[in-house]
Amino acid sequence: MRKTNWSQALGSGIRWLIGLLICIVVMLPITWVLSISLKPPEEWVAYPPTLVPIEPTFSNYIVLFQPGNPVGGVSEMVSAAQPVTRAFVNSLIVVPIATAASVLIGFLASYATVRFQAGGATLPLFVLTTRMFPPVAFAVPLLVYFRMLNLIDTQLALILMYTGFTIAFSLWMMRGFIEGVPRHVEEAAILDGASPWRVLLTITLPLVRGGLAATGLFVFILNWTEFLLAQVFTSREAITIPVQVSHYVGAVGRFYGPMAALGIVASIPVVVAGYIIQRYLVTGFTFGLVRE
Amino acid sequence: MAGQPNILIRLERLRKEFNGVIAVEGLDLEVTEGEFLCFLGPSGCGKTTTLRMIAGLETPTAGDVYLRGRRITHLPPQQRNVGFVFQNYALFWHMTVYENLAFGLRVRKVDPAEIDRKVKEVAANLELTDVLHERARRLDLSTMQRVAMARTLVTDPEVLLLDEPLNNFRPGLREAMRGELKRWQMHLGRTMIYVTHDQEEAMTLGDRILVMNAGRCAQLDTPRHIYEHPANLFVASFIGRPPMNLIDVQYTVEGERAFLVRDSLRLEVTPLRDKIERALGGQTNLVLGIRPEHLSFGPFSEEGWVQFSLPAVVDLVQPLARKKFLDLKIGDTLIKMVVPGTASFRQGESFPLGFPLHRIHLFHRTTEEAIL
Repeated sequence: MRKTNWSQALGSGIRWLIGLLICIVVMLPITWVLSISLKPPEEWVAYPPTLVPIEPTFSNYIVLFQPGNPVGGVSEMVSAAQPVTRAFVNSLIVVPIATAASVLIGFLASYATVRFQAGGATLPLFVLTTRMFPPVAFAVPLLVYFRMLNLIDTQLALILMYTGFTIAFSLWMMRGFIEGVPRHVEEAAILDGASPWRVLLTITLPLVRGGLAATGLFVFILNWTEFLLAQVFTSREAITIPVQVSHYVGAVGRFYGPMAALGIVASIPVVVAGYIIQRYLVTGFTFGLVRE
Repeated sequence: MAGQPNILIRLERLRKEFNGVIAVEGLDLEVTEGEFLCFLGPSGCGKTTTLRMIAGLETPTAGDVYLRGRRITHLPPQQRNVGFVFQNYALFWHMTVYENLAFGLRVRKVDPAEIDRKVKEVAANLELTDVLHERARRLDLSTMQRVAMARTLVTDPEVLLLDEPLNNFRPGLREAMRGELKRWQMHLGRTMIYVTHDQEEAMTLGDRILVMNAGRCAQLDTPRHIYEHPANLFVASFIGRPPMNLIDVQYTVEGERAFLVRDSLRLEVTPLRDKIERALGGQTNLVLGIRPEHLSFGPFSEEGWVQFSLPAVVDLVQPLARKKFLDLKIGDTLIKMVVPGTASFRQGESFPLGFPLHRIHLFHRTTEEAIL
């Protein structure tokens, strides 16, 4: 009896320890970023580093939106950068549209390949080849096309690329969820007289809602943090947040404070999106009630 | 409608291949209106495939399906007016019971008031009124089953096709649901085709049973006739629990008397001599079939009984609640026997064994067809 209590205590102690370690590993970088974002310039690279800022300040956040504001003494260093508003608006337009398009097209394509073997057995693999090259391999030819189409530095260019590059993910992620919908459920609807589109929209779609949410969140994060293509294809008008972050690395140094502040601000939409979607994630994985 | 108006469904030389593998071969069948027909057979015998071809969910490779004399072989499922209850019910999990029932009617653009009336009527019929607004995924199995049936009944189908609907139930409940299903069928008076691999289910539910083996019809008859007169070795060994004793024997004639012989074991069948010889066609290799429940202990003096030439020795006793299974040895031959639970036996005990002659089954060794 006593022994069991001991081993139980030891077991839960170890679990706690492991949990704590994971939390530290995951949370430390974020905490560090948060810490730096609240530090004045002289503390950014101070040695020994402190986790809690000695003289906390919001100046890094303020200069994001007002590069010329002299608060905190960082303004002259970052005044060359644009306010983040433009990058933020761009990201908030480009990423949701590209994500929605990718998930929609990916879902339909996935359904076609799973249920009707559209394009043959190798099509899904073929689609995946777009992810087998480093994106930069596509950047050069695309740059030529987009220049001819006059799409350089436009939101549309990013939307098109982000949609295209993430369709492979959407298609592959949705396959598992669609395969999880028992074929019989669709057949039952067909026997009831439903057309294929009706089956898709009123039966299959609601049943894979959780999968759509999971895929959407995943693709959203991919697009939200994408840097390379945005850097190559935008210069001023259509820059996104990751590109804006890079603008705080200038000729005169790295402005860690504003970078960190932007990182924190940029994570807010993703956290909010994840929080909203969470509800669907749980329901998404539980519909397979009855064994096949 | 010319011909027989009471034939609801007719299958003609139906055949289905999947990538060169034959699932159903040369199947002919007539289903009468109001009948409860069971497709019975081991898994992979083509029974579900046949059901799916009737529903239109599979297209036959050859042959035809007729509904009320009309050829519907290539008609899409939604134009056939058949109801299908899937093994796992295939309910629309994300909808309420009401929406599940209404789905088919909504698709057919039935007037909303009429939908409401029909849904409520069928729900009342199948005792679903209380759960109408529950989500389908929250129901227990037996309610799910009734929802699955109700959903197909709402659209008023010509025939209800059921694909092993009791498979998800644990044994005790399964028997209870079987009774309930029978009650619904009598109550609703629908033509039903019911696929199962469970012979007890088929025996208790079916007006007739189609026993299938390897894609072909092994026998089509009433449960009683299939039990009493299995048409071939497959049906003989498949129907009955414990299965029929099947013993390879030689038919021999000595003077006026006829015997079935296996090594030193002999069984006199002189009264059946004419019948056997008419069916033999020169063959002497036969399979003797005798059901465990038809065996009896001797000595036998009455007319119409036969007795094995060697005594049976009790090898193993397996008591069940109401009956006992005995493993007996006659010579080297192992035979199973069922006796009432009150009878007492000890291992090693021996006694004369026999059975009423009219309970005998004989099959050709090569063609496996019954000759008696």
